[in-house]
Amino acid sequence: MGRIVGIVANPASGRDIRRLVATASVFPTAEKANMVQRMLTALGAVGVDRVLLNTDLGGISAAVLRAVRTRDPARDPHWPEVDFLADDPVTGTADDTARAVRRMATAGAGAVVCLGGDGTARVAAAACGEVPLLPLSTGTNNAFPRMREATTAGLAAGLVAVGAVDPDTALRRSTRLTVTAAGRTETALVDVAVSAARHVGARALWDPATITELYCTFAEPDGIGLSSVAGQLCPSPRSDPHGVALLLGPPRECRHVVRAPIAPGLVVPVGVREWRPLLCGEAVAVRAEHGVIAVDGEREIELSGGPAPVVRLSGDGPRCVDITAVLAESARRGLLRSAAAPAEQSN
Amino acid sequence: MARTISYREAINEAIAQEMARDPAVIVMGEDNAGGAGGPGAEDAWGGVMGVTSGLYHRFPGRVLDTPISESAFIGAAIGAATRGMRPVAELMFVDFMGVCFDQIYNQAAKFRYMFGGNAVTPVVIRTMYGAGLRAAAQHSQALYPLFTHIPGLKVVLPSSPYEAKGLMTQAIRDDDPVVFFEHKAMYDTTGEVPEEPYTIPFGEAETAREGSDVTVVAFGGMVARALEAADALASSGIEAEVIDPRTTSPLDTETILESLAETGRLVVVDESTPRCSMAADVAALAAGEGFALLRAPVQQVTAPHTPVPFSAGLEDLYVPDAQRIANAAKAAVDWSR
Amino acid sequence: MTETIPTDASRGLDPDGLLRAYRTMRTIRDFEERVHDEFATGDIPGFVHLYAGEEASAAGVCQHLDERDTIASTHRGHGHCIAKGVDVTGMMAEIFGRATGVCKGKGGSMHIADLSRGMLGANGIVGGGPPLVCGTALAAKQQNTGGVAVAFFGDGASNQGTTLESMNLASVWNLPAIFVAENNGYAEATASTWSVAADNIADRAAGFGMPGVIVDGFDFFAVHEAAGEAVERARAGGGPTLIEMKLTRYFGHFEGDQQTYRGDEVRNARETLDCLTRFRRRVVETGELTAERLDAVDREVAALVGGSVERARAAPAPDGADLLTDVYVRYE
Repeated sequence: MGRIVGIVANPASGRDIRRLVATASVFPTAEKANMVQRMLTALGAVGVDRVLLNTDLGGISAAVLRAVRTRDPARDPHWPEVDFLADDPVTGTADDTARAVRRMATAGAGAVVCLGGDGTARVAAAACGEVPLLPLSTGTNNAFPRMREATTAGLAAGLVAVGAVDPDTALRRSTRLTVTAAGRTETALVDVAVSAARHVGARALWDPATITELYCTFAEPDGIGLSSVAGQLCPSPRSDPHGVALLLGPPRECRHVVRAPIAPGLVVPVGVREWRPLLCGEAVAVRAEHGVIAVDGEREIELSGGPAPVVRLSGDGPRCVDITAVLAESARRGLLRSAAAPAEQSN
Repeated sequence: MARTISYREAINEAIAQEMARDPAVIVMGEDNAGGAGGPGAEDAWGGVMGVTSGLYHRFPGRVLDTPISESAFIGAAIGAATRGMRPVAELMFVDFMGVCFDQIYNQAAKFRYMFGGNAVTPVVIRTMYGAGLRAAAQHSQALYPLFTHIPGLKVVLPSSPYEAKGLMTQAIRDDDPVVFFEHKAMYDTTGEVPEEPYTIPFGEAETAREGSDVTVVAFGGMVARALEAADALASSGIEAEVIDPRTTSPLDTETILESLAETGRLVVVDESTPRCSMAADVAALAAGEGFALLRAPVQQVTAPHTPVPFSAGLEDLYVPDAQRIANAAKAAVDWSR
Repeated sequence: MTETIPTDASRGLDPDGLLRAYRTMRTIRDFEERVHDEFATGDIPGFVHLYAGEEASAAGVCQHLDERDTIASTHRGHGHCIAKGVDVTGMMAEIFGRATGVCKGKGGSMHIADLSRGMLGANGIVGGGPPLVCGTALAAKQQNTGGVAVAFFGDGASNQGTTLESMNLASVWNLPAIFVAENNGYAEATASTWSVAADNIADRAAGFGMPGVIVDGFDFFAVHEAAGEAVERARAGGGPTLIEMKLTRYFGHFEGDQQTYRGDEVRNARETLDCLTRFRRRVVETGELTAERLDAVDREVAALVGGSVERARAAPAPDGADLLTDVYVRYE
C-alpha cells in the first residue's frame, strides 16, 4: 500500500460575498494548483510514495495533471506517484470534498491535507475520522486552517504519514461543535452563530447586526471571523477543551461592545449581552426559533420554528497536524539532515 | 470676409461650439486629452493629431481619455448615446475598425431598426483615413465604402475646412450614428470658415466646379485632386464639372444624375480600393438610372486592389493623382467627341 | 462607522418584495416553457434561446433596479427583459414576428429591447452588451442620476475581448457598472470548465481591480443579497463589481438543440436546485407568504402568458412597407 498522503483542494473556496462587502482576498485557482505542486515536492522529499488528489472541475487537478505529465524526472525534484480520485462524479458541492476524504481514509492515507477555508476544513474533518488532518488556508478569512507555506506544511504532513514522528507530539485533537436543527446535524470547528437573517442567501455571515447567539470551540485574541469577538472579550485557547457561549445584541443595549475583525476588512462594533464558558460535553438549546444557523461563518440551516436547535461541544474533533511541533521534532531528531552530504557545514 | 483656419481647427471649433451649446456632448478617445495618469500635462496631446486640443480644460470632465480598447470605448459611446448623451468618439485610424466593428455595425447601426423605431443613437465616430503620410498598410486605408455598405450608419467625408466644420456640427446634432472621416493628409490645409456655428445638411452634394464636358465625382481627399485635374483639363479645352458628394451615406444621387444629364460623361474618383467601392457604386448608379444619359463608359479612378505600400515611390503610385484623373476624363470625352 | 448593516428584510424583501420576486421568476418560467411549446408547433420563426432555470439571476439582480438603471442582455434575453419590466404581451408578439411586438416584429427573440425601460436589448452578438453598459453607466455618471448599469453575459462572453475590455474600462473610469456572468456551464455546446481558462469567471475581477464573487445562481436570496451590495456600491461611486452566477439552463442552447453534449445536470437541477421550488418552500416555511398567495400569482401569470400567446397569434404581421422604415431617424 505504501506511504500515502491525501490532498483535497476546494476549487470554490475564497469567492463568496466577502470579496464584495469586506474586500476579502481572491485566491486564484492557479495558486491553489501551485500549492499542491509545492506540497508534492515536500512529500517526495520525506519519502511519501503515493499522493491521492481529488478531481475537480475548477482547474486545480487539471493543472496538477499537466504538471505531472510534463515533468522531467532528470531535472525536476522527485514527486510521489500522483493518483487522481476520478471514480465519483464531480458535483461542484461540498459532497465532493467529503467523498474524496473518505476515499483517502479508506485507501490508507497517513494524513490528509485540505486546502480551503473554514468551510472546507469543516467538511474534511467530518469525513476523515482518525486520519490526521492538516487544514491549510487558501485565503485571509479563516480561523481554523492555518496560513502556512505549502512546502512546509507538506513536509509536516509527510513526516506524519510516513510515521517519522510520534503522533502524541505531532497531532492535536480539536474540539468541535455539533448543531442539530430542522432535522439536520452540522459540525463546526470554530463557531456556531444564530442569525436573525431569514435566509441562507449568499451564505457568508458578514452582518453582525443579525447575530443573536454565538458558540465557539476556541477564541483566539488574534483570530479573524466571528470568534474574534470572544477572542477579545473572553479568550479561550485551542488547547482548552472548553469553549465559550455568548449572547449578542444591538451595541446600545449591551454591557460589552467589542470592535472585532469579524471578516477581513471589517472591524465593527459587536454588542455582547453576556458570555460564559461552554463546557466540553455540554449541550445548549438555542433560543431563537426563526432565523438561520451559521457554522464556521457560513449560513447553513434555515430555521422554521420546529424543535429548538441544540448546540453541543465535544472533544472528538479531528486530529490535526501541528506543523510547528512536527518540524521542531524533526529538527531535534535530525530527520531532514543527511549524513552523506560532504558539503554540509558542521556547527 | 471669413477667417482662414485649418481643417484640424475647423473640426475642433465645431466640437467646441457644440459642447458649449449642449451639455450632452462629450468627447472620448485614445489620448483625446492625452496625458491621463502621467506626471506631466493632463492634456499633452489633444488627440494624436491634435484635433481635440484645448477642449479638456475648457470642458472639465467632458473630454475622456480611454485605454486602447476600441471595442469598449466605441461601444461605451454608443451605449451613452442611447441614454441622452451625444458622444464624439475617436477611432484614431479607421484601419482599427477591425477591433471594434461589431459595436458599430451590429449594435449602433441596427438599434433603431431592430427595436422597431424605438431608439435614437446620436453618436459621432471620428476617424482618420487615407494615404500620403507613409504610414503603410495598417494606418493608411480609405475604408469608407465598408461603412457606407451598412444600413443605419451615416458616412461623412469633408473635403475642406469649411465642410469639416459644417458637417461636424451637423453630425453632432444628427440623431443617427455618424462615421466622420477625416483625411489625415488634410489637417493642415486651410480655408475660409465662418466663426459662427453652421450646419451642412447630409446628402447634399457640392458642385465644386461647374463644367459641361465631363462630370467628375470625387470623394473626400480626392476632391482637391479632381479640381487640380479640372484646371489642367481646362487648358486643353475640356470643362469638367467636379461634384463633391460630401456624404456617401446618404448619397446625393440626384445631383450626380443632373450633372450627367448635362455632360453625358462620368469619371468617379475614389481613394479606396476598387472592388465594392464608391467608384463602383456611382458607376452602377450611372449604368442603371443614368444609362440613357451616358455617352461614354464610366471611368473609375481608384487605388489598385492592393494594400497600401510603405515606400514613398510606391505609395505615390497607389493614390489616384490629378494626372490619372485628367487622363480618365480625356478618355471619356474622346470616346464620344 | 455604521452600527447596523441593513438585513435582507429591510432591503425590499417584505412580503410585497417577495411576491414581486416570485411573480418575476414565475413569469419568466411560464413564458419560456410556453415559448418552448409554441416553438415546437413551428409557428415561431428563427432562433430562440430560452432562459428557464436561470430565473433567480435576472430576478434577484433586477429587483434592485429602477428607471434610472439600464441592463444589457444576451441572446438568452427573455428573462432579463421580463425582470426589467418589458411588456410580456409585446414580447410574445415580437417572438412571433408580429406588428404588435415590442420591436414591431423587426427584432425577434434575439433583439427584444425596450430602451424606455432601460433594457438595451437582447443581443445576437456574444459579448455585444458589456461595452454598451459602459456607455449607459457613463451616461448615468455624467448626468448624475445615481443610475447603475448591469451587463448580463454568459460564460461564453466571458472569453470575449469586448467583455474583458469593458471590465477594464469600467474600472479605469470607475463606472457604476455591474458585470453579471451567468455561467450556465456551456457556451453553445462547449463546457465552460474547458473554455474558461481561469475556471472561475469571478477570479478575473482581480485582474481588473474590482471585487469578484461567486453566487449560487439558483438561489434568489443569494443573488439578491450579492446584487444588492454591488448595486449599492455602484450607486455610491464605489465602482464596478463582477458577480458570477453558477447556474444551469433547462433547455438547449437553442430550441432544437439535442443536447447530446450534456450529462444529467438538468434533471439534478430541476429536482434539487430549482429556484422557484426552493423559493416557494422557503417563504412558506418562514410564514412570509402563504401558499394561497403564491398559487394566486401562478394563476395570474398563467393567464398573462396564455393571453400573450393568443394575442400574438391573432396579431397582424408587419406591413410590407415596414421593411423600409426606421433605418434612420432622418435620412434625407
